[in-house]
Amino acid sequence: MDARPTGKRGPLAGLRIIDSTTMVAMPTGLHIMADMGAEVIKVETHTLFRTEAARLMYADNDPGDQPWNRDGSFNTLQRGKLGVTLNLKLPEGVQAFKELTRISDVVVENNRAGTMDRLGLSYEALRREKPDLIYVSNTGFGHTGPWRTYAGIGRMFELTCGLSQFTGYPDEGPRRVGKAFFDLHVGWTAVFAILAALHYRQKTGKGQWIDLAMYQIGVSTMGDAILDYEVNGRNGRLMGNRHPSHAPHGVYPCRGDDKWIAIAVENDGQWDALCRIMGEPAWTREERFADPLSRWRGQDELDGLIGQWTAGHDHLELMARLQQAGVPAAAVMNSKEIVTDPHVKARKFYERVSHPSSAGIGDKTYFGRPWKMSKTPSFIRRPAPSLGEHNELVMEDLLGRSAEEVQGLYRAGVLGKTPTDPPDFKPPSYQKQLEDGSLAGYDPDYAEIVGTE
Amino acid sequence: MFGAALDQFKVVDLSGHIAGPLCAKLFADYGAEVIKVEPPGAGDPSRSIGPFFKDDPHPEKSLLFFYLNCNKQGVTLNLDTVLGRDTLLAIVKDADVLIESFPPGHMDRLGLGYSTLERLNPGLVVTSITPFGQNGPYRDYLGNDLIYYAMSGMMYASGAYHREPLKHGHPQSYYMGGMIAAYATSAALFSRALTGQGQHIDLSLQESVAAHHYDSATRYSYTGTIERRAPKVESGSFKGVRFEGIVPGKDGFISPTMQRGRPTAPFSEYVTFLGHPELDDERFADRQLIAEHRQELDDVLLPLIREWKKADYFNTFMSSGFVAGVVQTSEDLANCPQLEERGYFTEVEHPVIGRVKVPGEIFRLPECPWSLRSPAPLLGQHNEDVYCGKLGYAKERLVALRQLGVI
Repeated sequence: MDARPTGKRGPLAGLRIIDSTTMVAMPTGLHIMADMGAEVIKVETHTLFRTEAARLMYADNDPGDQPWNRDGSFNTLQRGKLGVTLNLKLPEGVQAFKELTRISDVVVENNRAGTMDRLGLSYEALRREKPDLIYVSNTGFGHTGPWRTYAGIGRMFELTCGLSQFTGYPDEGPRRVGKAFFDLHVGWTAVFAILAALHYRQKTGKGQWIDLAMYQIGVSTMGDAILDYEVNGRNGRLMGNRHPSHAPHGVYPCRGDDKWIAIAVENDGQWDALCRIMGEPAWTREERFADPLSRWRGQDELDGLIGQWTAGHDHLELMARLQQAGVPAAAVMNSKEIVTDPHVKARKFYERVSHPSSAGIGDKTYFGRPWKMSKTPSFIRRPAPSLGEHNELVMEDLLGRSAEEVQGLYRAGVLGKTPTDPPDFKPPSYQKQLEDGSLAGYDPDYAEIVGTE
Repeated sequence: MFGAALDQFKVVDLSGHIAGPLCAKLFADYGAEVIKVEPPGAGDPSRSIGPFFKDDPHPEKSLLFFYLNCNKQGVTLNLDTVLGRDTLLAIVKDADVLIESFPPGHMDRLGLGYSTLERLNPGLVVTSITPFGQNGPYRDYLGNDLIYYAMSGMMYASGAYHREPLKHGHPQSYYMGGMIAAYATSAALFSRALTGQGQHIDLSLQESVAAHHYDSATRYSYTGTIERRAPKVESGSFKGVRFEGIVPGKDGFISPTMQRGRPTAPFSEYVTFLGHPELDDERFADRQLIAEHRQELDDVLLPLIREWKKADYFNTFMSSGFVAGVVQTSEDLANCPQLEERGYFTEVEHPVIGRVKVPGEIFRLPECPWSLRSPAPLLGQHNEDVYCGKLGYAKERLVALRQLGVI
């Protein structure tokens, strides 16, 4: 598809990071660091099932013989990493982890407070192996404070961090938007935190322990709201898709099934342009819509009238017409429309990755990064590792074990390439999901559409 | 002591609104010297955005501006003048980072494009934050939070089945963009330590939100299926059971679950914690049965949950290992014992607003902590410090620049 500058040094070339994490937040932060050229070694174990690989998103809807290696969610979150399976319940596993730490810069873990300590892999233990180690512990609420033992589950942070007080249809109640909303934001924050500690290490030679709390990171996006309460005594209210002062500002129906356009008018010039595109209907000149304040106050009627007009239009064509006239507008795109969008394609936001032929997955596309650097390229440098794919590389090349020793570790259950206790895998029936509406569509020719056939 | 994590860096914040200023704030909070450059007159657009202190829409009383610009020095500079551009180049000459959020091409038209800046200061990292990036057919499209959500895929899959797609009610896209810009900028500085070279970072806010919709594009590439808003579910429910959605408690909203580690706790265990051990019910003995009796489950549990105060529910269930969420208000956050215990709030004195408790430390670097050193600058507050103190301009020149409308 695109000529990727393979082999070029990324901005983080030369760093080695141990990723001993699960779920979404930390794996996301670390796959970005891998895209940027860091060597990220994912330490997992064949004795626990890959929890991220339970989204029922198997390549070509086929679980195959090794469903744990065919899950799209896992393969998105762990792309670009090397993978080793170390059973940390056994001393040889812990020993290998310690030795790996000696030759790494950063360790990241997301266990409940106390777990790494019990394994003998706490910051205090590992800094004895590597004095300038940077060690990140990510938990829901942090290692201190009255909530330190509370479970940190992604889909709850929207609520607890204060975002849901604003989110929902005003006539209904709070709602969630997206999946596990703050997870990615936390992952990005982890990258910033690790880099800040690396900058500090560069000038002082000192490492440190970073007690990352997802809750605290989510709340940091609510600064203006918290200050509004402190000085004005005001709490948030449900906003729907509306803006505190601009109108029209909403999502309107378009031609076809479940097609919508977002229009966000922020000034009189944009309103005039919208009126021109609508053909200057008489209602736009009525007193009730004469100025931004009256439009904002009358947005219930305004939205109804605009919706009657948009309903006859194709959402993608209308986006182009409105934008060309200077009106902020966007088609509400589904995942297919995004991956095939000409702008997104021109920016190469989704990247094609070739999986090794042994995986039987072929080529797939994954989201890239929302930025480009002009001199140090970042890209998905390798597909996610199959379970234990780099056991030999890590144990023999990095840690100096002999092939015989490695065989012994497999026999002892320290290493493994097959999960000891996999759940029952069944491919989901798309028919049922199409009928009940949880899927908007299914394209049998998706590989051709995405360009990976 | 070795000081703060990022105090070796000098950042010029030429950006406005939320995303760019947040990126610069993160650098400032962890020690960088940040000079915020605003246009004379109105200043950063966020000075005109509420909430305002005591609802007084005064340019020094925007709480949004205040939150995003603490720890920065503030100068004014009119980049539409030759002297203004010359002065900017003088500031940028020994800077490490420049953050800007003008439309694509604007810096070039001003004669301040990356190639010019690179010649002046090869180590400079220039971070450009725009709606749709510097290239591509939509690069000149207008964006805002709603527009980015619409073009991310996330909004299409959020909201009620029979209603319009829904976005977050607080403009999260800018906060995402600001955090992403901060790590990318920091990574470019890390790289510079080895190569000596700065570079240009092109960040797209639309892609920042699309990045949050991380696995739906994979799903399409893996299976050809397109996700949609969940069907047949009422307010905020999760996977079809209202009970696992967001439901009313006594004084706010609660998201209850029976999840207690893995696997899910049995119904009997859950209702015992709920205060009704007598309610054991074999219709709800496992996940499968619950799925068959959703309506009955809601009928039994929702009235009981309505009797709980949200903080009591949250603490009772979370301290017992259950998964629970509550819709916290700004008031709850301002009074949160967890944030209090972790030293999250810091007081700062602002010359116009007075003494305010500011939400602060995002994460702690114990060796080189976050610090709140100064409140957000008044418009042009540090003109003399920066232009006379750092650039060596004479006082007379400062007066002239003011009279010429440059500062």
